[in-house]
Amino acid sequence: MSAGKILVVDDDPQIRRVMKATLVGHGYEVIEARTGEDALEKTPAEMPNLVLLDMNMPGIGGLETCRSLRQGSDIPVIILSVRNTEKDKVAALDAGADDYVTKPFSIEELLARIRAALRRSSSAPENGPHNFVSPDLEIDFETRRVRARGGDVRLTPKEFELLRYLVAHAGKPVTHRELLQAVWGPDYGDEPEYLRVFINQVRKKIEPEPAKPRIILTEPWVGYKFVAPAEPRP
Amino acid sequence: MKYQRVWRYSASIGLVGAVLVLYRSFLHVNNTTVALTLLLVILGVSARWGLAEATVASVIAVLGFNYNFLEPVGKFTIEDPQNWVAFLAFLVTAVTASQLSAHARRRTAEAEVRRLEIEKLYSLLQAMTLTGNARRTVREFVHRVVQIFGCGAAAFYYSPTGDIVRSGPESGPVTDHELVAASEIEEPVPDPRQIAFTSPVRLGGRTLGSMALLAPLPGEGTLRALVNLVAITLEKARALEDASHAEAAHQSEVLKSALLDSLAHDIKTPLTSIKAAVTSLLGGAPGAERELLTIINEEADRLNLLSAEVIAMARVDAGKLHLEKQLVRVGDLIASALSELAVALKKRPVTVAADQDLPPVEADPELMQQVVKHCIENAIKYSPDESPIAISATLKGEKIVIGIGDRGPGIEENERLRIFDRFFRGRKHRFDTKGTGMGLAIAKGIVEAHGERIWVESERGQGSTFSFSLPLAGGRS
Repeated sequence: MSAGKILVVDDDPQIRRVMKATLVGHGYEVIEARTGEDALEKTPAEMPNLVLLDMNMPGIGGLETCRSLRQGSDIPVIILSVRNTEKDKVAALDAGADDYVTKPFSIEELLARIRAALRRSSSAPENGPHNFVSPDLEIDFETRRVRARGGDVRLTPKEFELLRYLVAHAGKPVTHRELLQAVWGPDYGDEPEYLRVFINQVRKKIEPEPAKPRIILTEPWVGYKFVAPAEPRP
Repeated sequence: MKYQRVWRYSASIGLVGAVLVLYRSFLHVNNTTVALTLLLVILGVSARWGLAEATVASVIAVLGFNYNFLEPVGKFTIEDPQNWVAFLAFLVTAVTASQLSAHARRRTAEAEVRRLEIEKLYSLLQAMTLTGNARRTVREFVHRVVQIFGCGAAAFYYSPTGDIVRSGPESGPVTDHELVAASEIEEPVPDPRQIAFTSPVRLGGRTLGSMALLAPLPGEGTLRALVNLVAITLEKARALEDASHAEAAHQSEVLKSALLDSLAHDIKTPLTSIKAAVTSLLGGAPGAERELLTIINEEADRLNLLSAEVIAMARVDAGKLHLEKQLVRVGDLIASALSELAVALKKRPVTVAADQDLPPVEADPELMQQVVKHCIENAIKYSPDESPIAISATLKGEKIVIGIGDRGPGIEENERLRIFDRFFRGRKHRFDTKGTGMGLAIAKGIVEAHGERIWVESERGQGSTFSFSLPLAGGRS
């Protein structure tokens, strides 16, 4: 029984060879795609559990591929890229990627990230509230349904986990490191830019005014805090 | 020309004579009618030809009128005092009328000349098509001004490039030296001989050069307009030129940056395969093989670092580091550099003495973090293992100075400046293999791209402190 099906998208054949040999050695099933277009074609047919996506490819490129993948599914996507500036990381996360690994990487690091991503995507509800109800925001943690301002809101798995953790600690500031380790896994902690991107996404979806957040507050230099939305004033 | 004048005088006199003969011999009317007819003729002459002709006609008419019609007829004397009054009235009227009419004629002629000059100015303006090239505009001007205004010659000194351009059949009495001198004065030099017009060309106090025209010259107002016209056209061309230079520089910067990016990609891609493969093998390798695989792994890391630094160095060398300046807290810069170096700093006591209330600085956070990192790496490399590293951040006037101090052997005085040269290593460390020898050179490039300074203070046996300054965010803190 395989540990999961992984789609490796990279235009470099040698990298695909290494990844295939290594990942198969660790019990994963591997399918390959040479370009973003190729990956988008194979995804619906193969239904991989995770996508390893090169950022710099001919054709539509990694970011665009990631955005397209996101439109149709919640498959975890890990971007692999030779660039290591914060701007590139934020762009990848903004495009919907779950994680970002800089090339070259050691295989142990990549395997840890893959495990974390797979664990997340099928995460069973941990100890925490079963639901949260207020006039402006309703969250059902068991059916994973979120309603904000009267309409259904679709959160990606990571956005959902982030919200769940913040709600479970409502009213208390949660540090960057704590939040990263709770949602991404124990190997994380120094990626505050991940939080910036994902918190912004959640705010856009549930805050009445995302630019002036009232539900998820920023605690300068510390982290974030969930505050139950107040009753709307008559 | 001369013939025409003679003809005009003869015709004026002839006309007056014809009127006198007509009334004397054929039509017998009273003297008033004769005088009025003569006045009409004089007015006609002055309107058609001018004051001189009209004056001659007036004199002939007065004499003829007196001789033929005023008592006693046939003599140039006047007996009746009434006739004296009539005669004088006629004389004054004839002269005044012809003067007025000639004046109006002159005005018309002047207006016509002005209209022509304005037309010429306009066609010059059209001819000096906006080329976006100041030199070409100067050449065009010098060529066209001779063609359109019919000047003997034209010369232009364009001071930003020092070019002198001349045109016209004779290169003229205005020398290069005089032209250059003219660009430094305030007003055009009056030339009593009216042979040449020399004027500085400036716009809004900015000197663009000077110009000279040789006779025949257009009117003074037109000359002033010419100077202004060429100044404005030149300034426009120069602005266009600057804009296209900036655009070209930007294009080349984009190209360089794209080349470096693709180079980085091409080097790192095979390294990625090597690193992934070797770390995969390392997992289950037995002792002896493990040692060899570890070497491959470490060397792959070293190649990766080397390629990153070579590319960073190339960016610095291109002289156009792309700075994305933001408000940054130096505490954050130091903290993120320390967290990136956490492994290398494991056994080092690190103290950070940064004031909590330091105002933010304006810098590119990623690049500045590299500077802090390079300085700390340098401290790690050149001081004994487990010796402390002291980092400080202090406010000094309009700057914040970050210092990274080690307890190494210190740097010899003659090496302190060269330490920021690439590939330079201190005499004692020349054969160490650690590092690429580019870290401090890159740090210096980044700091200088921000318009700031990096320096080292060192004491033999006590250690060294690398410091660099950062500008406070102006007025926004």
